[in-house]
Amino acid sequence: MKKSILLTALLGILVAGCSSTELQESQPLNPPQPELQSMQADDNEGTAFTSPDLNLLELRGNPLLAKDKRGIYFDFNKFVVKQEYMEIIQAHAKYLNETPPANMKIQGYTDYRGSHEYNLSLGQKRAVAVKEALNSFGVDDSQIETVSYGKEYANLDCVEQNACGEDRRADIVYTVE
Amino acid sequence: MNKFLQIIFAGFIFFSSSVLHALEVIEILGGKASQIPIAVMPFKSFGAQKAIGKINSVIKSDLSRSGLFYALDTRGVVAAPNSDKEVNFSQWKSLEAQFLIIGRIDFLKKEKVKVSWSLIDVYKKQTVLSGEYVGKEKQIRAIGHKVSDKVYERLTGSKGVFHTKIAFVEKYNNQKYKLNIADYDGYNITSLLDSKMPIISPKWSPDGKKIAYVSFEKEKPVIYIQEIATGKRKLLANFKGNNSAPAWSPDGKRLAIVLTYNTNSQIYLINADGSDVKRLIRSRSITTEPSWSPDGKEIYYTSNQGGGPQIYKFNLESSEVSRVTFEGKYNLYPSLSYDGKLLIYLTQDQGKFKVALQNLQSNQVLKLTKGPLDEAPVFAPNGHMVLFVYKDYGKTTKIGTVSINGLKIDPLPLGSRQVQEPAWGPIKN
Repeated sequence: MKKSILLTALLGILVAGCSSTELQESQPLNPPQPELQSMQADDNEGTAFTSPDLNLLELRGNPLLAKDKRGIYFDFNKFVVKQEYMEIIQAHAKYLNETPPANMKIQGYTDYRGSHEYNLSLGQKRAVAVKEALNSFGVDDSQIETVSYGKEYANLDCVEQNACGEDRRADIVYTVE
Repeated sequence: MNKFLQIIFAGFIFFSSSVLHALEVIEILGGKASQIPIAVMPFKSFGAQKAIGKINSVIKSDLSRSGLFYALDTRGVVAAPNSDKEVNFSQWKSLEAQFLIIGRIDFLKKEKVKVSWSLIDVYKKQTVLSGEYVGKEKQIRAIGHKVSDKVYERLTGSKGVFHTKIAFVEKYNNQKYKLNIADYDGYNITSLLDSKMPIISPKWSPDGKKIAYVSFEKEKPVIYIQEIATGKRKLLANFKGNNSAPAWSPDGKRLAIVLTYNTNSQIYLINADGSDVKRLIRSRSITTEPSWSPDGKEIYYTSNQGGGPQIYKFNLESSEVSRVTFEGKYNLYPSLSYDGKLLIYLTQDQGKFKVALQNLQSNQVLKLTKGPLDEAPVFAPNGHMVLFVYKDYGKTTKIGTVSINGLKIDPLPLGSRQVQEPAWGPIKN
């Protein structure tokens, strides 16, 4: 009996000792949506297609420069440009060398396995490999920007579909088009 | 799980707890049971909506998600106590409950509620902790998390993370992306950014007020820093090539970032205002995924200098580089616990991608998950849980937590959303 009185007294002290805390109103997490910059803000589309300096006739007329041939594909975990693409790359080098105002972006891609950032670096390695092939034909770095999309557009089912090779590539993109 | 692993796991927790003042911790870890059995009773509500009586399920799910507690099934328990005085100790002992949480909710004016709760030690027959919180009815989950935090800290000696926030990227068919913020358990989702282009690598500033992230909206990766409260953002890095992998220094003044110009990924330092960019590590190989040690003296990172990706560290004072991971051929995405004693990363093990935990004192490695396609592990700010991505049976990626004792893997209740790239915000006082 004595013990339970003691216990009750102890509980009383504990309960009396606790504070009543007013919760802060949580921060409104609905900030105004920031305006995204226009995707093509840096392209001067208005003049590009009429400018004679860009030699668009060659870009569109030469079958080696055709849009459906601007994907350079790589083997698994490989970053070496295969010999079969050299003719195409040489044609792009010739176009860039003859068209100083033209700018090219090379976009690297990978399959989905691994982390986003490491794949971004692997895609970059593929883009750099294509750039170096262009360099070997005399193209200056100032006309090329190598970037990577890594695994961002990779097919999550490529293993099941035996299609991961599609994701291991670098795409040639002209900023005027 | 075998006994040996349990002992190692216990060792991990022991090393990662900074405040080991409570004797209970050692008893629990050294004891036979590795999880504390706890009964969380429904809180009886007086005048308040019946639904908010479910605060107990918030507390229950918090404590069991941590992996350190085993929440007992209390359905069918008659004579549920609402106050300490009503507790029938022999009843709870026979349920094998070591601790008991009880409480009540009183409805106040202006949609406010008062939640009164107690944590009771069934063996010692005494109340070890109790409290009252007053808040709006709609804050009932937040109040539940606060109770969980208090209980967690009292019984484990480490701060709870149940009131913290996470960020993650939500993806819709490669066409729309959202950078979302939510409670740590996936509730209360709000969107910080909408974009048609991918968003990756969100990282909370150490004060929890900003998020740095990588956006592809300029048709290449660039780094933004965005204020959470106002939504205002600024471009931190938009150099030629890729700009990615932001990592805040512990003091929040600088970031390690990865730039490429026209070569391979390399780690640079930049001030948080965008000034003073300088190259940190000079390498012919890829160096990426920088992550600071909590003392700000070292940067852990991924490099393929030995062929496959491995984790290395760079000492900012001596510029010395040393390799950190040796087990397996594929280890990447490092991040450190708040005390710098544990490293978490992604490893490839027999063809499967799993979350690995390495004790940096003993260099023992444990695989916390089974794969096959896990990804992007990040520590809770108290180092006791890890948020990670896994691929489910459909085509999507999901986010879940795993406790660092490996005992509890729990998905976040995000429905059919395709989610990736989680980041865990800091503990706010």
